[in-house]
Amino acid sequence: MTSAVDPTFNLASAVGAKPDAPQAPAKIKVENLQFYYGSNHALRNINFEVPEKRVTAMIGPSGCGKSTLLRVFNRMFDLYPGQRAEGSVMFDGVNIVGKELDPTIVRTRIGMVFQKPTPFPMSIYDNIAFGVKLHERLSKSQMDERVEWCLRKAAIWDETKDRLHTSALGMSGGQQQRLCIARTIAVKPEVILLDEPTSALDPISTSKIEDLIDELKQDFTIVIVTHNMQQAARCADMTAFFYLGELIEVAPSDVIFTNPKEIKTRDYITGRFG
Amino acid sequence: MASLAARRATDRAVKAISTGFAVFALFLLGWILWTLLSRGLPALGSNVFTQVTKPPGQGGGLLNAIVGSLIQIGIAMVIGGPIGIFCGTFLAENGRGTKIGAAARFVNDILLSAPSILVGLFIYTLLVVPFGGFSGWAGSLALAILVIPVIVRTTEDMLNLVPVGLREAAFALGAPQWKVVMFITWRAARAGIVTGVLLAIARAAGETAPLLFTSLGNNAMSTDLSKPMASLPIAIYQFAGSPFDDWVSLAWAGALLITVGVLVLNVASRLFLARGH
Repeated sequence: MTSAVDPTFNLASAVGAKPDAPQAPAKIKVENLQFYYGSNHALRNINFEVPEKRVTAMIGPSGCGKSTLLRVFNRMFDLYPGQRAEGSVMFDGVNIVGKELDPTIVRTRIGMVFQKPTPFPMSIYDNIAFGVKLHERLSKSQMDERVEWCLRKAAIWDETKDRLHTSALGMSGGQQQRLCIARTIAVKPEVILLDEPTSALDPISTSKIEDLIDELKQDFTIVIVTHNMQQAARCADMTAFFYLGELIEVAPSDVIFTNPKEIKTRDYITGRFG
Repeated sequence: MASLAARRATDRAVKAISTGFAVFALFLLGWILWTLLSRGLPALGSNVFTQVTKPPGQGGGLLNAIVGSLIQIGIAMVIGGPIGIFCGTFLAENGRGTKIGAAARFVNDILLSAPSILVGLFIYTLLVVPFGGFSGWAGSLALAILVIPVIVRTTEDMLNLVPVGLREAAFALGAPQWKVVMFITWRAARAGIVTGVLLAIARAAGETAPLLFTSLGNNAMSTDLSKPMASLPIAIYQFAGSPFDDWVSLAWAGALLITVGVLVLNVASRLFLARGH
């Protein structure tokens, strides 16, 4: 661990952070990443590590590049001509922004849940089976098992078990979002990216999703973009603050929110701008 | 600034004028429908559906024209439907912001507003002259060319209504583009795409001009696509201008049939759209 922003313990232990929190090895390692929307240089020289089986939050004012970075992690930007990334994002020893790697492989291992719930116009069961069938051939009973497994993981099994074959569009927004999380889990990714997953939800659904994030980090590495600093403080082990396309500071969440090193970070979390 | 009274008077005047023209438009429509029903209904006996065209004064019906229309529209949709849907899909999914997409969209818009008689002439020079005769194939192809731009336009419009987030969500699961299109975006837009196809059928059902130089019409029963083939619009064109009373009333029966058919298609497409949302 010799990168510019070392997520390991110095600061954390100084303020009594959870001792296990920053010790995890890096799952994703971003080095000298530049990102462009056409001629607009949206991310500048980002160096950053995402620890394995931890929750990492990315915060910052609108337009700071946090969602852009999230979309680099699963090559979502590939869908749009004119968007390009330079530098490296190492994931299991492979540079995932390298042109030679098929983006569908990256997306299978690094899943993503979006700001607005995006259920497909089909039944709850088929919403999950769609993603699984892309990568695996399962028998009917294996598929039934997989559907139940991921719905349980997403804490939505009890609400859906009697209506698996009804349209997913009839669910509430919070249920739809948990279905989208279940659908992402079902393909068994290693990393789950969450792009403001609760900003369109009511407080009760939000707290359910936050509880869920806490559960999921047992099995998955989680990166969450959020505008809600309480949410970052509650859910995340590590928090990274971005401003105008640059990574200003990354540290264990309790450090960032109680004793940030940078003045810009302090101004942002105390609500002086943003 | 005008006084309150003057503004109220302007308001009332504009309301009165727009209401008046709306009533006038409805009156014209009602008049057409009433004429159609009063002339067409009495002529609409079972003979219309069971007998082929006979010489004047001997009764007869429109069976050959009905069958001919169904065959030619059916083939036109089999050819034009997939071309239109795939072309519209290309424009919505791959053609955004590309030169070839812009060119295809422009050509499609021209085709959409091209006079249908031009399409007839095009097929006439392309098929009828070189192959030495009018044929059902030529009529079907002319109708196919007419329905393609309608389907392209509605398919593209309906796919553009599918939220970008839905596509991204499917891509985020590691789906290749063809699966995203076939299983997610088409599915999300299917009600609209079916509506476009139904409206295209309605458009083809009423076209006379492209059939005049292509399938020509046929007073005998024929299902041979290499021979001239009858169709309802051509039968109406031929009979309505004839001096024989029974032929004229058959023309009204045919006109009523087409109108009812188009009406059914329009209602069906509305139901589809309503169910899709």
